[in-house]
Amino acid sequence: MTKHLLSLLALVAWLGGCAAQGALKPSSADEAGLPLPFRQVLPNGMRLIIQDHRAADVVAVYLFVGVGGRDEGPNELGFSHFQEHMLFKGTDTQGPGFVDREVEGVGGRSNANTSLDYTFYYLVVPTQEMPNAIRILADMAFRSKFDPAELSREGDVILEEGRIEIDNPRTALVRGLYGLVFRDHPYGRPILGTRETLKAATRENVLAYYKRHYVPENVTLVVVGPVAPGSVNAAVRETFGRSPATGHRRAPVPGARPLSGGIRREVERPEQQAYLALGWLAPRADDSDGFAVDMLASILGGTESSRLARKLRDQDRLVSSITMSYAALVGGGIVSVRAELEAGDLDKVERLILEEIARVQESGVTEEERQIAVTHFEAEHAFDTETAEGLAYAYGIAETTWSLEEELRYVERIRQVTREQIRDVARRYLSRTDYARLAFVPRSKERR
Amino acid sequence: MRRLPVALLSGVALLGALATPATALEAGVVSRARFPNGLTLLVRENPTAPVVAVSLAVRMGTRWETRETAGISNFLQLMVVRGTTSRSGTQIVEDADRLGGKIDAIGDQDWSQIEATALSRHRVALLELVADVALRPSIPDGLVEPIKQFLLRQIRNRAEQPYPVAFDTLMHSLFGLHPYAWHPLGSRESVERIDRPALLAHYRRHYVPSGMVLAVSGRVRAPAVIAEVERLFGAMPAGQSPPASKVSPPAAAVSREVREVPGAQAQILIGALAPPLTHPDYPAVKVLSTVLGGGMAGRFFTELRDKQALAYSTGALYPSLAGTGYVVTQLGTAPENLRRAEPSLKKELDRIREEPPSAEELRVAKAYLLGHFAMDRRTNARQAWYLATFELAGVGHEFLDRYVAAVRDVTPADVQRVARTYLGTVRESVARPPAR
Repeated sequence: MTKHLLSLLALVAWLGGCAAQGALKPSSADEAGLPLPFRQVLPNGMRLIIQDHRAADVVAVYLFVGVGGRDEGPNELGFSHFQEHMLFKGTDTQGPGFVDREVEGVGGRSNANTSLDYTFYYLVVPTQEMPNAIRILADMAFRSKFDPAELSREGDVILEEGRIEIDNPRTALVRGLYGLVFRDHPYGRPILGTRETLKAATRENVLAYYKRHYVPENVTLVVVGPVAPGSVNAAVRETFGRSPATGHRRAPVPGARPLSGGIRREVERPEQQAYLALGWLAPRADDSDGFAVDMLASILGGTESSRLARKLRDQDRLVSSITMSYAALVGGGIVSVRAELEAGDLDKVERLILEEIARVQESGVTEEERQIAVTHFEAEHAFDTETAEGLAYAYGIAETTWSLEEELRYVERIRQVTREQIRDVARRYLSRTDYARLAFVPRSKERR
Repeated sequence: MRRLPVALLSGVALLGALATPATALEAGVVSRARFPNGLTLLVRENPTAPVVAVSLAVRMGTRWETRETAGISNFLQLMVVRGTTSRSGTQIVEDADRLGGKIDAIGDQDWSQIEATALSRHRVALLELVADVALRPSIPDGLVEPIKQFLLRQIRNRAEQPYPVAFDTLMHSLFGLHPYAWHPLGSRESVERIDRPALLAHYRRHYVPSGMVLAVSGRVRAPAVIAEVERLFGAMPAGQSPPASKVSPPAAAVSREVREVPGAQAQILIGALAPPLTHPDYPAVKVLSTVLGGGMAGRFFTELRDKQALAYSTGALYPSLAGTGYVVTQLGTAPENLRRAEPSLKKELDRIREEPPSAEELRVAKAYLLGHFAMDRRTNARQAWYLATFELAGVGHEFLDRYVAAVRDVTPADVQRVARTYLGTVRESVARPPAR
């Protein structure tokens, strides 16, 4: 610990003028035998996180941008995701496909994803390619070209992506549930946009959106691998560091409207398999209740031996799969239960899920269940440390949606959650009336 | 860490299942032990993370099935993790949860596996759990029917999705009566027939130590693992593993089948028989499939998606199989694009036979193939899987080193030659929504 602290201080001095964010505390990563990560804020406001990780001769470089579905105006639906695609389509000096060519040409891989609170891009490359990977991401972030012909072609590709989503019931179910739980809220909008907004996208308005959000203060770069912080820092200063601060401040996200009285929807689909999703509003990412909600979701439906799996899958055999999960977003969280079942059992399964929730609300959970849940999260973190990208992804999300320091202390905080706290959050958040219910059922004529 | 469900992320990913399966060896010493009863154990010490993964591979899968027993290997695997003489199915998953891990079992074409992970401080308990499931499964009578129903639903669901329908149709036309023709799930007719006595007989026939490889990777010490495995598996009686099916696939021929599947996308699959992993052409065909459909720099992605916007998903698949295998090329598109997309995909298959890849294309394809392979082998679960699978296939895990060297030696002429050899006569399968 002392050694890492010293090197952190040395780095801060060497950087001169950088506002480092203090020493990071012991962590789950530390227990895995890893040194602590460095976190720095560059003079232009960009954040940089570096983790020494010597499992393989591979470095993961993740760029997280504070832009996602929640930042889009009504005429900009799908723009965050559109940008994500366009950033692979060339810069002022490079043509389309340059990222794939450069990265795959050295045996690396690249990809990107858009969510509600963030967009991220990653390159995983052999260690010696680290400076190149940083340059490529900086070019994508600040020098993308948005060629009009490419823009039009990529719009078609995204419409195809939408088709895949529609075809996949599991994806469609999650999207649909968010739409219900976060109705009239940015989190309830379609990340892919609509046919209308995509067709109406012009180079001017897409470019304006890009210029507004892709600025140093809104990005975090995470570099994980067998790397020296000094060399990473040099590569970052040569590239990202050259872009000036803009004074950008991201607009806060509004709170979600309560689900008073509940909301129910049934959708007919071609599959004979039925799908059920229930959703509740839950604590936002920075709410300390979140640790207890994580534990609650794990005990009820986060593991193979969870209460819902045992009762509904193993004992009553009403579902072929059932899971409960908690996603903590910046502006509000969501607890969801998803099950695959036969259409005739929908109501019964819903009732039994509510009964299991009531049982936790009334009698709480056992000490053994609490301990299994702690082990579950401890293991999740331990498995994250196997690869550079597992850690880079975890750090990037934490930095963008809550706090890296909290992420590093996560397992410690989870261990402190009491059985009473788990029961209390079950009472506070899992209303038996105010929740959203979405069911996919076979088309009437296809029902057996 | 609380993450969004993957479904809520939108990316530019290729169809995951079509990424060319990777294969090569990273640094790390593998210890091998062969016990008197014939069981092989491989241990890779990997101190990176405080975790451990185990793969127990069994010489059992569709290759040992007939059309009548199709799906029995996978069915059996689902049963072995659902009860032993001393643990119920619920206790098995509870025990795995207590260890901070998972236990699962599946049947595939050339192998069946029990796969398990845990925090490394529970390594002994994990090995005990795997041994219990493998050596003392009870095949609980009351669970055979529910698991059968679960499998029948999976078979039904598979028949409702465009890509699986197109894929299964193509496999049937490529392989005829050969067992690779059917999916490891089996068919409705065969699965309906399978009962507990059949499962028990299948278990006794295949779970013999000479047909099993146990691989362990993680923060462990090899000598301790070897001693532990000897204690747990040493008493297993020796036996002879049964031979695989001798049926051959039909000769190459041109065919085209169209299936109507409700959905928003149409799927075009074009494929042909291809050499097994032991064949000298295996590395060149791996490179060929990568030149065509490997990653975003491959020909399909750049031509069909980037330039022509004809596809969201496109790729090529050449799995590593012990018997005569297959190359499948794929394109998912809007139904109205079918007429343009089909000839475009075929044109790419013609082009690779007519002109070899450029030196740069070949360099990128090799880098992608080997890079992907190296990256795929970083988690302990994948390490254990690679060790067990290639040992079981009879080539040893050292095969992977030789494979890497052989890929490096592939020339543009080699790629063109194997394209001509294997892609000259292709079969086609299309799944599209019914016309409205």
